[in-house]
Amino acid sequence: MIRLRDVSLKPAGVGQPVLHSMTLNIPQGEFRWLLGPSGAGKSSLLRLLTLGARPASGQMDILGTSITNASRGALRNLRRRIGFVPQDYRLIGEWTVFDNVALPLRLRGRSERDIRQEVFSVLEWLDVAAHAHSRPTILSGGEQQRVAIARALIGRPDILLADEPTNALEESQARRLLSTFQELIDLGTTVIVATHNEGLVREAPAPSIMLRDGTLDPQAVKP
Amino acid sequence: MSRRVSPGLRSGSLPLLVALMTLLAGLALAGLTGIQALAEGWSRAAHSAATIEIPTDIPNASDRTNALIQALKAMNGVTNIQKLSTDKVQELLSPWLGQPVGSHKGLPGLSLPEVLIVAHTPGTDLTTTVHDTLPEAVLQEDLQWGQRLERLGTSLTGCAWLAVTLIAAIAALSIGMTVRRSVAAQKRAVEIVHALGAADLTISSHIAGRAALLSFLGGIAGLVLLTPLTTSLATTLSPFAHQSALPTAFPTTLDGWWTTLRILPSSLLKELGALPFIAACLGWLTAQGVVLVWLRRLP
Repeated sequence: MIRLRDVSLKPAGVGQPVLHSMTLNIPQGEFRWLLGPSGAGKSSLLRLLTLGARPASGQMDILGTSITNASRGALRNLRRRIGFVPQDYRLIGEWTVFDNVALPLRLRGRSERDIRQEVFSVLEWLDVAAHAHSRPTILSGGEQQRVAIARALIGRPDILLADEPTNALEESQARRLLSTFQELIDLGTTVIVATHNEGLVREAPAPSIMLRDGTLDPQAVKP
Repeated sequence: MSRRVSPGLRSGSLPLLVALMTLLAGLALAGLTGIQALAEGWSRAAHSAATIEIPTDIPNASDRTNALIQALKAMNGVTNIQKLSTDKVQELLSPWLGQPVGSHKGLPGLSLPEVLIVAHTPGTDLTTTVHDTLPEAVLQEDLQWGQRLERLGTSLTGCAWLAVTLIAAIAALSIGMTVRRSVAAQKRAVEIVHALGAADLTISSHIAGRAALLSFLGGIAGLVLLTPLTTSLATTLSPFAHQSALPTAFPTTLDGWWTTLRILPSSLLKELGALPFIAACLGWLTAQGVVLVWLRRLP
């Protein structure tokens, strides 16, 4: 569950808050599109929800934990329950694809045998297993995006956040990804996908969070 | 396959820096050991020796000197009395009196005194015996000079420790700067790992482990660089080692090298042997501190 009450976000060194008085309530196991023009605050909201920043004011609860007062240890444990597909993929270029995807499982202390099995399973499903021992820097944009998706999915997160996860994918791969999101939702995962792709939104109608100038559009959370 | 959970340390010149610091620390420790030995010797001598000068131009000088020697020998606490020969006294005074001309001792018109060196247990007071038996004799307890030398020795030991401490501080600073540069260069990777839920200690321990390993290897390299110097020092000391069958030339075999090194005090050898481990601990602690402080900037 994600619950925001009058939340503002003001990054250090920035005069004005980039998000204002944001109030949201997303029950566990639901899907939301995150929509809005460039600069509306989509990435800032995702940053907040991935615990990349603490709110400047307001109350924010994620998976039952109040973020405002949470300890570093509590935030660390929460981060392990959140999967994120960043727009810029954020892969570690010096590591292999395998090591990048295995990282969430290694941080949970899983055995190498299990990790190997699960990593190859998800890489094969996303059609990048052949690159398991390559560095991500030599892969195409689409392949890197699939590796980032694999890393976000492998830990079976309770919340999955994705920033333009289909912009480098072919149409068939994008459809496949949406069906995967649906499977995760059926298993109880909350999924929020930021996109500009109106075709994709039309293809999978769902409630939307509409942002404009760092605030929820008056017609936000439209069905 | 390696189990990667955090970016490592980009070592740069860390092993070389630590090797040079180990070399300096080894030299400082060798100096410290020498100074400590000297200070101890001075301290022992300061509390257990006295010099008695007896003018030879007094009546019955020889008989009265012998009487004084007998009286001193009879004292409790006197362990040894050495009467210096005229040649020895001449040699000791030669910086002030010059070398003797022909068979003449001292300067023309100036007779050399008899000199007695009396070794005694600390606290033995020779004053009464000397003044009662031979009032013309001048008694000089070495204690005063010894205490001054002891104070000098203590000061030098303090300076040597200060040097060792400074070297350790500079080493810690160098390691800290290397680690900080490395973390800054891998900022993005550290942020990714942090965002995926890595504990601060997981990240810092990974980097600190690498820093410790590189510091240890640097310490070993420093010892290797130090070896010719310590061997040379041991070779120089070997004539004073009071052991038979010690090589006095620079050793060319491993056995000879080890035999030569054993001339050095075992405490020094142990301290030198501990340097790579100390470097590793210093590297680990410094890296942990630097990384943990750096990570505090992340939410």
